[in-house]
Amino acid sequence: MVGLLLRLRPTVVVVVAAVVTGLLSGMPLYAPEAAAAAGGPAREGLLNMLGRTFADNRLVSLFIITFPAIGLCERFGLQERAAAWIRRIRAATVGRLQVVYQLFRVLVGALGLRLNGHAAFVRPLVLPMSLGAAEAQAGVADVELLDAKRVEEIKATDAAAENYGNFYGQNLSPVQPGILLVYGALKGLGYEVSLWRMILFTTPIVLTSIVLGALQFLWLDRRRTKASGA
Amino acid sequence: MARAAAVIFSLGTVYLVAGAVLACFAVLTFADRQHPRRWGAGAFWLILGIIFGVGGVLPHWVTGALVIAMVALDAAGQVRPGPAPERKEEQARHARELGDRIFVPVLALPVVTFLFALAFRILGLDANRGALVGLGFGSVLAMLIAMRLTRSDARTLMSEGRRLNELMGSVNILPQLLASLGVIFAAAKVGDFIAGGIVRLVPEGHLFLFVVANCLSVALLVMVLGNTFAAFPVIAAGVLVPLIIRPFGADPALVGILTLSAGASGTLMTPMAANFNIVPAALLGMKSEYSVIRAQVPVALGLLAVHVLLMWSLIRFSR
Repeated sequence: MVGLLLRLRPTVVVVVAAVVTGLLSGMPLYAPEAAAAAGGPAREGLLNMLGRTFADNRLVSLFIITFPAIGLCERFGLQERAAAWIRRIRAATVGRLQVVYQLFRVLVGALGLRLNGHAAFVRPLVLPMSLGAAEAQAGVADVELLDAKRVEEIKATDAAAENYGNFYGQNLSPVQPGILLVYGALKGLGYEVSLWRMILFTTPIVLTSIVLGALQFLWLDRRRTKASGA
Repeated sequence: MARAAAVIFSLGTVYLVAGAVLACFAVLTFADRQHPRRWGAGAFWLILGIIFGVGGVLPHWVTGALVIAMVALDAAGQVRPGPAPERKEEQARHARELGDRIFVPVLALPVVTFLFALAFRILGLDANRGALVGLGFGSVLAMLIAMRLTRSDARTLMSEGRRLNELMGSVNILPQLLASLGVIFAAAKVGDFIAGGIVRLVPEGHLFLFVVANCLSVALLVMVLGNTFAAFPVIAAGVLVPLIIRPFGADPALVGILTLSAGASGTLMTPMAANFNIVPAALLGMKSEYSVIRAQVPVALGLLAVHVLLMWSLIRFSR
């Protein structure tokens, strides 16, 4: 915890935490495996346990195997085509655009794709489109004429739409690291759970996140229309 | 025959493929003279490839030593991305011709994953395993389709995979390391310590208050750590298993995934999750770096409350 605050490499922090915790609880640093296998009284060594659990949890990092295909598709226009789909969104207001973008982001996550949406979509596409919609709503011809507080709010909620869609949508796919971590961690604690049941139970949460996001975006829309009408 | 199929369509095969993919990344990095740390970074990915490929048969202490070596390379600042391969003019032209067909390989991934899970289920095997094996075979199929569609060779395929992999860097192994940390915490009885602290605050046997404590503590820990992955193993060992799963017989799949996503409420409210909350503020040119967090707080709190109610009612009424 302190390490992360000091901005050390996160991998180092985790391993140091593991070693310190293990040593404090009296685990030996290393124990010959033959003794443990023979059912001897010796406790498993820290190094042995680190190796065993890291190998047992390989499935958590299995998403790396998708990189060659996704990387090649990116080189041949995957992001550009996805962007073209976003541009096709016909939304008259900022709020509706954000609702549709959040849905798009849930879909991307559910397909098992990981991408940095803030850089890939929000900055180049969603923000210009929502500022365009805001100009039309306010009946002005230039971003400079929009209220500064309103622009800040649009930017913040664009980023929020990306985060809501990304965080909750990814749990709908059995190949995303979050759900695999739950599987791996619970397995380590002695519980084998079904990936599909986890997806089932997370579905109401995804729906709630979509509803709450939509309420926020559309409420801000309404507040603005009222303000500009007054 | 059936035995041969069981060997081919196993998690072991998928791990071997993943190990081979990582070895390709490592070789390309070793050969990349423009890479600022080609030996260190290449060694890091090669070691991970070895653990993937043969981690199941290596003595555990050897794997443990290899993990320490990887983390040492990362600590020494060796694990950095190389220069991205340039996009050639013909690739850009071909991309325009392909249009939406570029989605085909990417969609093959979830389709094959799902079909494998379904097939395993029909055969009376573990559908989890089916999904993971399907992810492996789906990736291989996606690679083949992508190469054919884009008329690229294996070298281009692997260089592009390496580009994505190195861009994320050592963060890629963090979830796996954290899952290991969770087991070590459990062995060191850290969980019992946390559970003991909560039991002192909450009257014993009170399901609703334990669910509140669980969801609040994961969200708060995420706010401190900035990362759901880091918080989950601690809370799972310290709160979820001893206070909710064991005494109340709650479904581990249900409470596991809901605890993870309750943690996302914390992510939405903390500047420690800089990638999601602070970097975008700069990227979108906002006046205050806290604007994104401020916008997200009401929704995050609302979702946290929904998590508590959903988890409590599903445990309560499934008993």
